[in-house]
Amino acid sequence: MLSHFGAQIVDLGSALLLLTCFAIVAQRRLSACVDLFALQSVFLAATAALVAFLTGIHHIYIAAALTIIIKVLVIPRILKKVIERLNVTRELVMNVNVPTGLLICGGLAMLAFFITQPLIPLGFQLTQGSLGIALAIVLIGFFTMIARKKAVTQVIGFLVMENGLFLGATASAYGMPLIVELGVFFDVLVGMLIVGIYAHRLQDAFDSVDTSQLTTLKE
Amino acid sequence: MSQAVLLVVAQTMVLLALSPFIVGLIRKVKARLQCRRGASVFQPYADLAKLFKKQPVVSTTTSWIFTATPYILFASTLAAGLLVPVFVSQTPLNFAGNIIALVYLLALGTFFLMLAGLDAGSAFGGMGSSREAIVASLTEPAAILSIFAIALTTGSTNLSTIVHKTALLQGIDTAPSPHLMALAALFIVTIAETGRVPVDNPATHLELTMIHEAMILEYSGRYLALVEWASGIRLLVFLTLIVNVFAPWGIATTLTPVAFGVGLGVYILKVAGMAVLIGVIESMFAKLRLFRVTDLLGVAFILALLGVLFFYILRG
Repeated sequence: MLSHFGAQIVDLGSALLLLTCFAIVAQRRLSACVDLFALQSVFLAATAALVAFLTGIHHIYIAAALTIIIKVLVIPRILKKVIERLNVTRELVMNVNVPTGLLICGGLAMLAFFITQPLIPLGFQLTQGSLGIALAIVLIGFFTMIARKKAVTQVIGFLVMENGLFLGATASAYGMPLIVELGVFFDVLVGMLIVGIYAHRLQDAFDSVDTSQLTTLKE
Repeated sequence: MSQAVLLVVAQTMVLLALSPFIVGLIRKVKARLQCRRGASVFQPYADLAKLFKKQPVVSTTTSWIFTATPYILFASTLAAGLLVPVFVSQTPLNFAGNIIALVYLLALGTFFLMLAGLDAGSAFGGMGSSREAIVASLTEPAAILSIFAIALTTGSTNLSTIVHKTALLQGIDTAPSPHLMALAALFIVTIAETGRVPVDNPATHLELTMIHEAMILEYSGRYLALVEWASGIRLLVFLTLIVNVFAPWGIATTLTPVAFGVGLGVYILKVAGMAVLIGVIESMFAKLRLFRVTDLLGVAFILALLGVLFFYILRG
């Protein structure tokens, strides 16, 4: 009974993760996108901690704690600083407009569920539902990177993809070995720093963080 | 048989009597949050009484649609209200239709209201109708899908069965996620369909922003009273749908006087709570630009779609 109830709560946590993805797709304000990403990471950490509690695998706790520190506290702070310095608040022009983007993401979620359907009976009882959701989050993060033009939101798309991968690893294998997790977190953090500098350079060179401007380099 | 008739009469009375109070309560909450004292919560009753006494003025360019619409709107909305369990889990018109009939009865009223807006030939009426058509066509798929998400988890499209099963916690073994998504979607649909703040502002007659008010601009006297009352009932029906489908506990599941009394009391408390929530939301958010409304309704549609998807994916 406890494990059944636990599985429902894990499912709910994964569902909330997916929900925040859609909120990011629908949100135009950059700082709100960052906040939503932080919220998504909180849900991710809570879900991971719950899985750790229910399975008794301790190293997932460490990964959850690292998620809180890096993705909820450090990265949003860096991104907020970048947004503040760049003086951009809203994304007004997108490659795909919001309602179309939402519909495409709904299609991507269906695709992800359809693909993972045959794998579901093979997985752990506890995290059966999460695998499809994890794949959906990865696809939506990827779509966000394509649909948005500003460097900051593209970074958020990348981070959302990373969250999806983390959820997928937790769902399919109860987490990766700790050394791999540490490596991934370090990579994400360094990647963030590089992107911060990249966005500053972009701003200095073109007076905008619109990445579509980069094509003008050819001339 | 006599019991069924009694139930129809009782539920009609409750819907008719309670709807102006809910409208008044929302206004009062908004006024208090803006540091005004505001009119009494019973003001809408006085407004309706005054309007019924006044002589209606009807433009000479209008056809029969204009005068028939208030009656059609009022009747269809009330009929829709009788398909929803209000304070007893059994609905009076149980035999007549399910949740899909409910959505389309409400849509019938909206359709005639749009025609009436066009009928008078004024620029504002046409503009209001066109905007209402955008909103209505986008809320309908979201409403239907969110309702399907709930119907799937309880295995029936009959509202009475859904509410009865949930109230007695029978057959509710599925994950909570579909319910949550459907709740969020239905809440956005409620706000859009009843013309509350992020979508439409019921308290303004500003040309650029109004939707519902623009359509009924030509109405006066008893016609206006009927339209206003119908929109009050519509709001109450949506709030009832939300509280009774997602939190039906306390509703009368047996046909005894004690259960009736408790059911009615709990129902009024729950609906009043929802009205306060809507008042708070109206005070917190600014009205969306018309072209941003599609974003919000897109979110509602996706939420409802996810509700249906989660039912299938999390079933195992």
